[in-house]
Amino acid sequence: MTSQIIENVLQALMAGLLAGAIYGLMCVGLGLIFGVMRVINFAQGDFMMLGMYVAYYLFLSAGIQTAFGSVIGPYVAILLSAPLLFLFGYWIHKLLIARVTGRRTAQLEGDGHFAQLILTLGVALVLQNGGLIVFGSVLASIRTPLSASAWEIGPLWNDDLVSVFINKARGIAALISIAAMIGLTALITRTRMGKALRAAADNPVAATYMGIDIDKSHRLAFGIGAAVTAVAGGLLATNYPFHPYIGIDYVIVMYAGVVLGGMGSITGAFWGGMTIGLVQQLSTLVLPTQLQNAAIFVVFLLIIFLRPQGFFGHVVERT
Amino acid sequence: MLKLDGICAGYSVVPVLKDVSLTVEAGQFVAIVGPNGAGKTTLFKTISGIVQPSAGTIMFEGVDLAGIPAAKRPHLGIAHVPEGRQVFPSLSVMENLEMGAFTDAGRRAWKQNLERIFALLPVLAERRDQFAGTLSGGEQQMVAIGRGLASAPKLLMLDEPSMGLAPAIADFIFEKLIEIRAETKLTILLVEQRVAEALDTADRGYVLEAGRVVLEGNNATLRADDRIRQAYLGM
Repeated sequence: MTSQIIENVLQALMAGLLAGAIYGLMCVGLGLIFGVMRVINFAQGDFMMLGMYVAYYLFLSAGIQTAFGSVIGPYVAILLSAPLLFLFGYWIHKLLIARVTGRRTAQLEGDGHFAQLILTLGVALVLQNGGLIVFGSVLASIRTPLSASAWEIGPLWNDDLVSVFINKARGIAALISIAAMIGLTALITRTRMGKALRAAADNPVAATYMGIDIDKSHRLAFGIGAAVTAVAGGLLATNYPFHPYIGIDYVIVMYAGVVLGGMGSITGAFWGGMTIGLVQQLSTLVLPTQLQNAAIFVVFLLIIFLRPQGFFGHVVERT
Repeated sequence: MLKLDGICAGYSVVPVLKDVSLTVEAGQFVAIVGPNGAGKTTLFKTISGIVQPSAGTIMFEGVDLAGIPAAKRPHLGIAHVPEGRQVFPSLSVMENLEMGAFTDAGRRAWKQNLERIFALLPVLAERRDQFAGTLSGGEQQMVAIGRGLASAPKLLMLDEPSMGLAPAIADFIFEKLIEIRAETKLTILLVEQRVAEALDTADRGYVLEAGRVVLEGNNATLRADDRIRQAYLGM
């Protein structure tokens, strides 16, 4: 009896870590756009949806399944969706969002946030409805044989039969998420380009005095953010079926993750997403599944009440 | 090196600069003095390309800056140390300096420049890993100056480096400027409200009042001028 409970808790914990890693990566994408560049993007969930469909069609229709097989193929397709979504984000920014961000908005009310809100909400609606027309309303999924098999850890001790199972597709998705997060953190904190992006977000006018092109920095950050979230979406799609309206389900989770982790912190956004995954899965131990999202936001509000700046938010005096 | 001719500029409909002309020769230390609201900062922003002039031309080393966007101008060798320091608060001191070296010239000379900056302003070496936003005003001013030097500029523009600092710190910053000048022979354009010190240090000065150059000359001429003595030097 006790061993049953222990096993359930460990299983939920593992499920939370695996889901949390993907949510974390999703949040990192938004973290770059909203947390670092301070652009409100309500279409982020729909960028993710687009990433899912791009990976799906690359896998099925662009010959990746035949070339790489059903085991490696989905991951190749997901990684290839990243540059495509980068370009998509880059151009969406150049054509639309640049008009309500950057140096231009210094004089606008609320730093152009009102305009960004409406504009990106509009983009979200166009993508959702466009998706419905182009992709149809039938649930799609990127099927891999890995999602039907699992690794078993255990039995954890000899005289008992407690063991934890890790679904292979989810395990690999979590590992790729963590690797992508580490790569992105290195990009933002170590490279010249990453530092320039942060400088541009910190003080656009001073960054211009350094010779940094602000509009270009914003475009790059937006493109990278879109690509990262799209990869997270693709990984999610190897475990869960999706549809053109899936973005709405996740965009709020992403914002919660970014705020939870602390605005401006990429690592924070990842842990914010991880927390949400853990709460979601652990809550199923004591609550009915329908209350998962309620549980997430109760915990979210609690953490924000206790630590308003988020896990990794630091207070730096603004000049 | 830098030549402004008949510059008019302002914000939307409010003109700030009216027909301003000035020249900075290579190797010179030029000071612009004048009261609050005279247009000194606007003048700098116009040279940096943040404010577009409505008339007049700006030439830098024989190149007309009119068609050159603000973010390209630092790459020509113009470093702007802005009013109020404007450091990157959530970047470390080291990263702030690295951003100064965003220009190609700055990147090539990064090692030597960093050594020089740390020798000149040792406090920056001590605080290299600290967030710039957590530093004191004087230390932030040093970051801003270090950041300007890190770009390996041909022209260093300093906008009121003593503003908002305790007098002792302001004196220290001034000494550093004299040291930089003596050591590097860098061309410097300085905007300052501490007129006596500015005119002592500079080769040449301009007095800006209500958006116009009302007086110009080398430092001896200016310091001997009765209007300057009465209005600014308190003599």
